[in-house]
Amino acid sequence: MLSYIALIIFVLAFVLIVFEVFDKSLIALSGALLMVIIGILTPEQAIESVDFETILLLLSMMLLVHIASKSGVFEWLNVKIASLTRGNPLAIFLLFSLVTAVFSAFLDNVTTVILIVPLTVELVKGMGKDPKPYIFAEIIFSNIGGALTLIGDPPNIIIGGAVGLSFMDFIVNLWIPITFSAIFALIVFTIKYWKHLRPVSDNLVELLIANIIIKKIRLKFVKTTIHTDFVVKVVAILLLTVTGFFLQTLIGLPTYVIAFSAAVLLALITAKRAHIHDAFRSVEWSTLFFFAGLFVLVGGVEHSGFLEIISEYIATSTDNLLWLALIVLWVSGIASMILDNIPFVTVMIPVIFGIQGHMAGVDTSILWWALSLGACLGGNGTLIGASANVVSVDLANKEGVHISFIEYLKFSLPLTLGILGLCSIYLYIVIV
Amino acid sequence: MDKKVELVSELLREIEVDLGARDLADLVLRSLVDAITSFKPKEFMEFCPQFDRLVNIIVNTEPKFGILNYHFAKLKRDFNSEYCSSLADNKWRRIVLKRIKTILSEFRMQAEKLTKHSEELDVEGKTILIHDHSHTVQDALIHYKNMGRKFKVVIAEQDYDKTHDNIEKMHEAGIEFQVVPSYMLSHIIENIDMLFFGALTLKDTMDFVLNPGAHGIIAALHVEKIPVYMFMNTAKFSLWHSKPRGEIFIHKHKRTHYKKDIEYDRIKYSHDRVPAEMFYRIVTNEGVLTSEEIQKLFEKKLKQYNIANGNGVAKK
Repeated sequence: MLSYIALIIFVLAFVLIVFEVFDKSLIALSGALLMVIIGILTPEQAIESVDFETILLLLSMMLLVHIASKSGVFEWLNVKIASLTRGNPLAIFLLFSLVTAVFSAFLDNVTTVILIVPLTVELVKGMGKDPKPYIFAEIIFSNIGGALTLIGDPPNIIIGGAVGLSFMDFIVNLWIPITFSAIFALIVFTIKYWKHLRPVSDNLVELLIANIIIKKIRLKFVKTTIHTDFVVKVVAILLLTVTGFFLQTLIGLPTYVIAFSAAVLLALITAKRAHIHDAFRSVEWSTLFFFAGLFVLVGGVEHSGFLEIISEYIATSTDNLLWLALIVLWVSGIASMILDNIPFVTVMIPVIFGIQGHMAGVDTSILWWALSLGACLGGNGTLIGASANVVSVDLANKEGVHISFIEYLKFSLPLTLGILGLCSIYLYIVIV
Repeated sequence: MDKKVELVSELLREIEVDLGARDLADLVLRSLVDAITSFKPKEFMEFCPQFDRLVNIIVNTEPKFGILNYHFAKLKRDFNSEYCSSLADNKWRRIVLKRIKTILSEFRMQAEKLTKHSEELDVEGKTILIHDHSHTVQDALIHYKNMGRKFKVVIAEQDYDKTHDNIEKMHEAGIEFQVVPSYMLSHIIENIDMLFFGALTLKDTMDFVLNPGAHGIIAALHVEKIPVYMFMNTAKFSLWHSKPRGEIFIHKHKRTHYKKDIEYDRIKYSHDRVPAEMFYRIVTNEGVLTSEEIQKLFEKKLKQYNIANGNGVAKK
């Protein structure tokens, strides 16, 4: 009986999260509490279900990104890039898309689009052009870039934490499909929006307008006070953190320890410029509590034995690893287009563990990469597929650019299906 | 209005509000250098017609920016069809850029000349009131400070950013200053010895176009017979026949009471107009002039450039 109640609580919480009836953290925490109060999990089991490593990694990255943003280093980089483009639409598109992807791989996607989208809109709209293709590209590339690393997107953080994968494991296993997805997206964008991206080097009026805007943006930035010592410390710690991630296996420290050390060290050496209380205030506590609640919810369902049944069903329905990988990729891809990919991935982890249990002796690690690719890249499919998509649309709206669900879908859905198709080819090549 | 003209008008308006007309002109000329550097026409002969189009956009913005019209009219005269046909394929860019850079340096020299002429004013031991964030006025004050003159500045508050720009500049230069809300000026007016203003332009109607709020302050000081000085580069003159109040933009928007559920219309104006005769002296790059002298100079320049009728650059 308790098993069914656990399943009902989970499904109900999932539905409430999908329809955003309340804040998702509140729903997850309420569900988690019910699991304990009803007796599905003991308080000790509930605490054990929480993956504190993942939560600490998220917290550390939030602190790092907040303090680093305060230094103005990201704005400086943006202004430099804007100047580099010399107002050439194709250069704006290429450079900002690539910077979005790189930023997203090492920062969280939402921070990345908050830094990049307003500047792009100002630059492109000021030139009298439609900024939508550029915003679409930044959404797509924030999710593509985020999929490359362990810290790039929450699904990867959850997968990495649960499975014990290292930072380099993600890069080594995902760089090929991610690079091809990025190239594919660039080609599709360039063909589809060539009218918007065509170089203006033969048009003196357009060039003058673009150069005036770039100088205006640069002036605005110059007005903000930049403290060199702050920037140097931030850049040094960020480089140290990334180096730490790359050398994780050599150092022998888990990712969350490296990230947390970096956050604490940066907070210490920049204490005069960025107050730690402000940094703590900037932490998205609701997200962290959402994760904690979700871990308990999934722990309850796992305890009920349902996930084991699902795993057994999937594993016994086929012994073909390619089929299984494709199912994981496409189901997680399509689910991520319409559902929050975080709860989905959290549920899928015990399911995949279960499948692996049924396929002892076979290297099934490819299933994690299929899950990561599906969950991260599937988020590109719709405007509600990932947090960065929603935030980008809000930012664009504030600047007077209205993007409708259908408008985005018309372009993003075929592109996302194409990218998932590319990933399927990758899985086929690796498995077969 | 042509879409491109509309776009450029909005862009220039935004920058002018932020930087002032002088720095706007500097920015546009520098941007022109960069634009021509990256300009890659199929044939170099395309430069002249494209430059013509560009000039027509710049000189027909709403509002018109006198200082930009002046420089672009000069360039248009230089890059006429005869000149274009004489250009050689491999040299045109270098020649054109050289000319623009010369204009840019002449323009910067004019600013230096104006600062030099400002030395004629006696500011020793005086309290100077400033209100707008004219970079020309700021430069003059910094120049006095560097010359070792002793004076005090009172900043009359206006737009938040502009007031803070003044505060920043005075602080950086080490000039003693105080800040007072504009609506409380009457309480300190007896301590003020002179008032400095900069302007966007001087119209053919002999009205200066200044930051909003200037009219009231100048009127108040005029009543008290406190001398008001205008600092302006003559390149800023609007050398065409202007439409009445054409440069003033009205911004209407809805606002809500900060506590109660009351919505109301709020109206803001972009500029004020003040007759030249309200200024005791006008400090220019061509000397310190009275309002009668500035009128004569304006008329001479209008005849000389005759932009409105002769060169076909700006339309009436």
